[in-house]
Amino acid sequence: MSRLLEIDDLRVTFRTRYGEVTALDSVSLHVDAGETLGIVGESGCGKSITALSVMGLIPQPPGRIAGGAIRLQGEDIVGASPARLQALRGAEVAMIFQEPMTSLNPVFTIGSQIAEAIMLHQNVGADQAFKDAIALLDRVGIPSPDRRAHDYPHQLSGGMRQRVMIAMAVSCRPKVLIADEPTTALDVTVQAQIFDLLNEIQRDFGAAIVLITHDMGAISEMADRVAVMYAGRVIEEASADDVLDFPQHPYARGLIDCIPALGRPDHRLAEIPGVVPPLHLLGAGCAFAQRCAHRNDRCDREKPSLVNHGRHPVACHGAEESRL
Amino acid sequence: MTAPLLDVRDLTVRFALPKPSLFAPRPHLEAVRQVSFRLDAGKAFGIVGESGSGKTTTAMAAIRLTRASGGQVLLDGEDLLQLDDEAMRGKRRDVQLIFQDPYSSLNPRARVVDIVREPMDLMEIGTPQDRLDRVRELFELVGLRPDQLNLFPHQFSGGQRQRISIARALTTNPKLLVCDEPVSALDVAIQAQILNLLADLKDRLGLSYLFISHDLGVVRHVCDHVAVMYLGKIVESGPTDALFEAPQHPYTQALLAAAPSLARRKSRGYVRPLKVSGDPPSPINPPPGCAFAERCPRAGDICRSTPPELARSGAVDIACHFPGPPEV
Repeated sequence: MSRLLEIDDLRVTFRTRYGEVTALDSVSLHVDAGETLGIVGESGCGKSITALSVMGLIPQPPGRIAGGAIRLQGEDIVGASPARLQALRGAEVAMIFQEPMTSLNPVFTIGSQIAEAIMLHQNVGADQAFKDAIALLDRVGIPSPDRRAHDYPHQLSGGMRQRVMIAMAVSCRPKVLIADEPTTALDVTVQAQIFDLLNEIQRDFGAAIVLITHDMGAISEMADRVAVMYAGRVIEEASADDVLDFPQHPYARGLIDCIPALGRPDHRLAEIPGVVPPLHLLGAGCAFAQRCAHRNDRCDREKPSLVNHGRHPVACHGAEESRL
Repeated sequence: MTAPLLDVRDLTVRFALPKPSLFAPRPHLEAVRQVSFRLDAGKAFGIVGESGSGKTTTAMAAIRLTRASGGQVLLDGEDLLQLDDEAMRGKRRDVQLIFQDPYSSLNPRARVVDIVREPMDLMEIGTPQDRLDRVRELFELVGLRPDQLNLFPHQFSGGQRQRISIARALTTNPKLLVCDEPVSALDVAIQAQILNLLADLKDRLGLSYLFISHDLGVVRHVCDHVAVMYLGKIVESGPTDALFEAPQHPYTQALLAAAPSLARRKSRGYVRPLKVSGDPPSPINPPPGCAFAERCPRAGDICRSTPPELARSGAVDIACHFPGPPEV
């Protein structure tokens, strides 16, 4: 089966004052039509850089795609011309950003902003595009869309703005929709509405969704498959059920156990000590070793690679030696 | 029965709005409407709600950082709202605050040792040497190293900064710590570290928390008693276990249904049972009846005309005309 989006051994580096650091290190991921891939990890793990790479939005310089391929329906978009990327963005792959207020232009009405996206990619006139924009606003659940289309972003609530972003992102029926923490700025009830909407849209359009989040709860509700990232590498990848029920990597376990659950009786939360190390301080060994309760000499010396040690692929020496 | 540490009665906060015209009466917005709750010493009281529900305003008014327009706030039996400014300054020793954003609540140009010491300087507690010893002691208590004393805030991570905020709040030996979304700005893994620290401090120092959060899981973990607010009013309040296990108010039920949980799996075809559409109404012109009526699956005619009163029902207090378990 051909993969809709396939990231193959991607390596992205950034020039910093500490020298060149590797933000993504041999990342391989794929997503098929109608599927939701969750990418989970703390800030600084490379989730957003992965998304920006696919959109061709890595600032170059200081960033550089140092190796690997990103194939969209078989076409490698690493090194594609800016014009080609422009044609793909929006039409084939679209992105929903974290903060809808800063991603919408404050001086244009939301209707005209959606219409602009439609006119860029489809051969329609301004009137038709605006009508399409109203239909899309209706589709994403904005009440009285013909009136709301003339509103400016500041007149809408956070949840409404995120709906507008989604309307804009799906305006050209992209095959891949990347949602980068689409609900972090929103209340739980609104987050639930947005999640439900993304699921509906997926059913209607058959789009593949890449959901980037730090919340294992969101993964549980939304994702079919999960990739756990840490310090620029994928450290565990499997179906959502496998990762949630049988997490192999100590980091994945930590992410699941540290969530204060709604239905569990009181007990101490598991914590992952320390923080994600800065990229320029990554040594030769496993990036998680400093925070890991199961580290040994080998973890300090040698980077584990993503290999299946029985259940599903995981990058951990401890899992390989079955001593966790 | 012992007197509670904090007893808030009919607290109301009203903000003035701009006049629509020169001779029109000035309209007001009631951000907090007759909120009452009690917090016992050594316990944690949680306030949950969506943004705009008035949870932060309630807490700020209770400790006089926002001016209340009515009601009483009894701390150890003394009404804070009636104190003159100088007496209130003295009382501030007993009440300290942790803010949501550890990036903007620490002075970027001050060394952290000075940041943590400053409350003691202002309150003139002890000698300078005592103060420094106290800072060292607190640094250890919150899990920071003494060699970090002379660093600046930007040299710390978000979780460490929140630890600094906690150390600063503890310098005056407060009885009550108001935590305004203390972990919402942090990554989940770091969030667990701070929540565990807060739980330890509560046990070791006998602290009481007034804990504000929109995250139900966090509140469940930290708090002994929870109040759910909606548009400036408490709609349901009770012991944490009772409220989470058998919520009676449809809004509480909707909040719980909306919170992501590991138990809900896409693979098992999970579909949210209780959907709440739309946004809360505007507090400038609140509806005459129940504020939640427009979004409520159970609302009847009486809900749109008559506001429900908060009344005891089993273990919880609830303001709803049709309380009960969710219909499936």
